[in-house]
Amino acid sequence: MSAEMNKATKVGIISCSGEEIPEGTISRSAVRRVLESLRPHDAVTLCLPLFLAGNEGERNFARTHPTITIDGCDKQCARWGTEKHGGPVARALVVSEILGTEAAGCSRSLRGRGQADETAVAAVADRIAAEVDALMSEGVKPQMAEDPEADVCACMKPAPTGSVCVRGKQVEINALPMVFAKLASDGMRAEDSNASALLETVKMFHYIAPEDESDYRDALLAAYQAFVGG
Amino acid sequence: MENDCDKVLVIPCSGIGKVHGLISRESAYLVTDELAPGETDVVCLALLVKEDEETRAEVQAHPCITIDGCGKACAQKNVEIAGAKVAEAFQVARFLSSHRGAQPGSGSELTEEGWAISREIAEAVAAEAARLRAGEEVA
Repeated sequence: MSAEMNKATKVGIISCSGEEIPEGTISRSAVRRVLESLRPHDAVTLCLPLFLAGNEGERNFARTHPTITIDGCDKQCARWGTEKHGGPVARALVVSEILGTEAAGCSRSLRGRGQADETAVAAVADRIAAEVDALMSEGVKPQMAEDPEADVCACMKPAPTGSVCVRGKQVEINALPMVFAKLASDGMRAEDSNASALLETVKMFHYIAPEDESDYRDALLAAYQAFVGG
Repeated sequence: MENDCDKVLVIPCSGIGKVHGLISRESAYLVTDELAPGETDVVCLALLVKEDEETRAEVQAHPCITIDGCGKACAQKNVEIAGAKVAEAFQVARFLSSHRGAQPGSGSELTEEGWAISREIAEAVAAEAARLRAGEEVA
């Protein structure tokens, strides 16, 4: 069997990103570095809070990838949340154990970042990358087959677009199907009294010039009526 | 958090995938560290995912403001799942939509524009926190 055939597909990394302590910022920054620079083709991530806020596909993340959790402190929220809601993890790293007292001079905010932060992030990122390499070479397989449409973090890929006809021209709008689905699940009826609320929601994802709002309001209402079948 | 009955908790999503999450996180720190220190505090959203009892009690006992990056609204949903009431839910995407063409940075770094947008959000959050501390009705 070739080395290539032994390889795992991609390793999932889940950071606690804890906001209260510098180690949480280090965990987040180190994971970003692994994804952007160190192992961009071998690793993917998911926002930890999506285990509760997301859908079944997102909760399956740890079942569809061999997963490394990276926690700031020994409460190990990322490990706990992943194992409870997603499945067992392949590796569980803790920043405070990797760095010891080295994180003492680090900052929670990037505004206060200095050499100590850079050193800490580099050390943790290198450790994560080493674990990614180990899992890839071990050929650790996920419990479930990968579903590229369901288990990648929503914020790591563009949301599906939809289009509406504004003044006779088709306009692509980011995340429109998601917006319509959310509003429909919330019970919003496709009627004129809701057109302004519909417009305001879409404006969160798509810039609409003030002078165009009236046309967009009509176009969105028509598209939403078609979406909900009314 | 001793003797802090009036504190408002600011809870960002810290989403790791895009600049939206980083803006949410840095906006929260601008509020708690610079604009309203002593009056506001952050809590780890991950502790709510862990169903940490102490953190659940904390969010139930204090007014909470969430700052979410995307429409998944993870911060808002997790606070609500913890049995707390979200006094105000901010969305980074809503602020970005009024800065057409802005290049705020990435999930790792903010540009000057990104920091300016973070400050704009932080000022809105701080104003809401002040209103909540003054005892005004939750919207």
